[in-house]
Amino acid sequence: MKFLKKKLLIVAVFILIAAGINGNICEAKGRTFVVGFDAEFPPYGYLDENGEYVGFDLSLAEEVCKRRGWEFVKRPIAWDSKDSELETGAISCIWNGFTMNGRETEYTWSTPYVDNSQVVVVRTDSGIESLSDLAGKILVVQSDSAALAALEGDDATDENKALAKSLKNLQQVADYNSAFMNLESGMVDAIAMDIGVASYQLESRNGEFKLLDQHISSEQYGIGFKLGDTELRDQVQVTLFEMLSDGTFAKIAKEWGLTDSVCLSTEDTQYIDGGAVPVTDADIANVQSESVSDGTPKAVKLDFVGVMKQLISGLGSTFLIFVLTLLFSMPLGLLLAAVRMSKLKVLQWIAKIYISIMRGTPLMLQLLVVFFSPYYLFNVQTSYSYRFYAVIIGFSLNYAAYFAEIYRSGIQSIPIGQWEAARVMGYSRKTTFFRIIFPQMVKRIMPPVTNEVITLVKDTSLAFALAYTEMFTLAKQIAASQASLFPLFVAGLFYYIFNFIVAFIMDNIEKKLDYYR
Amino acid sequence: MKILEMNHIKKSFGDKVVLKDINVSVSEGEVVSILGPSGSGKSTLLRCATFLEHIDSGEILYSGKSVVTTDGGKAVYPARSELHQAQSNFGLVFQNFNLFPHFSVMKNIVDAPIVIQKRDKEEVYQEARELLRKVGLEDKENAYPCELSGGQQQRVAIARALAMNPKMLYFDEPTSALDPEITAEILRVLKSLAAEKMTMAIVTHEIDFARAVSDRVIFMDEGLVVEEGTPEDVIDNPRNDRTREFLQKLHV
Ligand SMILES: Nc1ncnc2c1ncn2[C@@H]1O[C@H](COP(=O)(O)OP(=O)(O)OP(=O)(O)O)[C@@H](O)[C@H]1O
Ligand SMILES: [Mg+2]
Repeated sequence: MKFLKKKLLIVAVFILIAAGINGNICEAKGRTFVVGFDAEFPPYGYLDENGEYVGFDLSLAEEVCKRRGWEFVKRPIAWDSKDSELETGAISCIWNGFTMNGRETEYTWSTPYVDNSQVVVVRTDSGIESLSDLAGKILVVQSDSAALAALEGDDATDENKALAKSLKNLQQVADYNSAFMNLESGMVDAIAMDIGVASYQLESRNGEFKLLDQHISSEQYGIGFKLGDTELRDQVQVTLFEMLSDGTFAKIAKEWGLTDSVCLSTEDTQYIDGGAVPVTDADIANVQSESVSDGTPKAVKLDFVGVMKQLISGLGSTFLIFVLTLLFSMPLGLLLAAVRMSKLKVLQWIAKIYISIMRGTPLMLQLLVVFFSPYYLFNVQTSYSYRFYAVIIGFSLNYAAYFAEIYRSGIQSIPIGQWEAARVMGYSRKTTFFRIIFPQMVKRIMPPVTNEVITLVKDTSLAFALAYTEMFTLAKQIAASQASLFPLFVAGLFYYIFNFIVAFIMDNIEKKLDYYR
Repeated sequence: MKILEMNHIKKSFGDKVVLKDINVSVSEGEVVSILGPSGSGKSTLLRCATFLEHIDSGEILYSGKSVVTTDGGKAVYPARSELHQAQSNFGLVFQNFNLFPHFSVMKNIVDAPIVIQKRDKEEVYQEARELLRKVGLEDKENAYPCELSGGQQQRVAIARALAMNPKMLYFDEPTSALDPEITAEILRVLKSLAAEKMTMAIVTHEIDFARAVSDRVIFMDEGLVVEEGTPEDVIDNPRNDRTREFLQKLHV
């Protein structure tokens, strides 16, 4: 038993070190260009049927890196955290169908390269033909999206503000896939979104939906860099112009079916911040690349096996989070329980407050705090691998609080006579705890611990808050590119099987401990 | 030679004075019974003698060696190691046994001698088997406490206390959690121990048993020793009114 625990610990440490080294190697070579993107945003950036992140923007970025000799890193991010990701330096830029309008002063922008309009998608049979038909209806947008800004932002036009007012409700969802599910099921009447994404979705869902002819707004996409990072912006800009003049840009646009939308032009001689756009850059070797990445613009429908194959890679991450969290939170909880039951009032209170905060605030928020606090509190730049550590640290700190309370109730439920009998026989407090009390506690707390462990299996999906691609994050991404709910159901099935096994194991342990009462 | 000596013991719980200046001693080979009405402080006295409770003031000696002293009206307890040393003088058998439920009968008996006293395993196991035979449970060594009757559990608890080779044993109402029929089997074990000259201090309500085995009887009431002497004196010819009253109630 003891040896097994030691072995597990060693394995855990190795996994952590391996994860750390992995990340470091990536960041060690030359310049790394990390593109932050929302992996649920086809055709600009999404997960394809082979489990790879592809898209128009990623193809462009890849080509820029190739020409610049940079190492290209695709980094899916949680859209809500994009500013923190950029600010902390976790990503070099946001390149992901990123609307400039309304955000002009918040980022250092490239010149616009896609002209994109905000359009409204409705069900074909809905009878909604124009924007005015939306009065009294429910419209849904992605949270923090350009469509939302166009309707309700500070710079929204009066017509759009009036349109927003005329609605019965303006709802926000985290991703377009759920927006389409809502629309499909009739829970909402319309979606406002980017035309590029809308076209992709409409193409994948034969004839059920249509676009209104009237557009909410016309907008442009740019590449957003951290405010003030003009050097990197200029380098990317120059290379993009190169690609434009040798035809590569048009070729990539054609591959992704965006020929009609692109608007990159050397006639743009000024950035929106007023700076002059450089046209050439003497520093770079003019490497002509003959081949462009062969992305596939249209979603290939995956069958059950295909979805499963993709999910299995995420299952590994889910399992890792699960195991490491248990490995760290269970002993940590014991320590916390000891502090909680300490004779010192001060310590008692510290533990009490800690437990109350950990149990009283959302785990997702705690994950964000763990991930971003090194930068915001100590100005420490974290490596990519920290994302994984942050997930494990956040989960372990949270679950330790729950385990501490379970242990405490377990320890306190053991009759005082057990302590006294041991004390009279000369057992020290420590020996009494580990030999007499602890084993009895373990038996008593099995039911609540089982509950907690099963909850943990499902909670692992919260790692999506840090864009750590465990199974559920992956399932959502696949669902987005497949324009279907099916991958989520497959993920659900996986969770169920996982928990079925967990419940079976816990049940067996409980039975093993049944030799006494 | 006196194994236990308690002088001027005072103990209160909050405002409630439970022991008021108690003097008690137990000599080697002696069997002392402690009688008294409920709430008179008998259990508290045993718990103070076994260091489960701290006295407020007074003096406790084991084998002539001073363990707890009083300085400036306050009891002074020694370092842990010295307390451990004193602890090895006695064993305690509880009213509700307090066996370790996750250990087998055998393990309950041998664990402390092996782990705490660091004695030779073989020797301890052999001795434990002998003790089990003595209390009539030689066939139960692999059973768990939950598989035993109350009387059997109490016999295991006695064997467990004896396995530490103490100089004396304390019993706090060893039979009052048991059915009357089962009480006899425990009393039989105690009688055989008395016959072997085991030193014992027993809190009990079993008057007939006390009369039969005790060398000395102590009668307590409201935190005081009100009468002390041979069983013939205290039980059969009590001089104190309260003792008389208590015994009369028991006989009714
Ligand atoms: N831990 C405690 N805190 C407060 N009061 C206590 C505590 N332990 C005992 N007492 C009180 O001290 C008094 C003596 O209790 P004690 O258990 O010693 O009596 P006893 O003679 O053993 O009685 P019984 O025959 O019922 O076992 C009682 O009034 C009891 O309520
Ligand atoms: Mg009592």
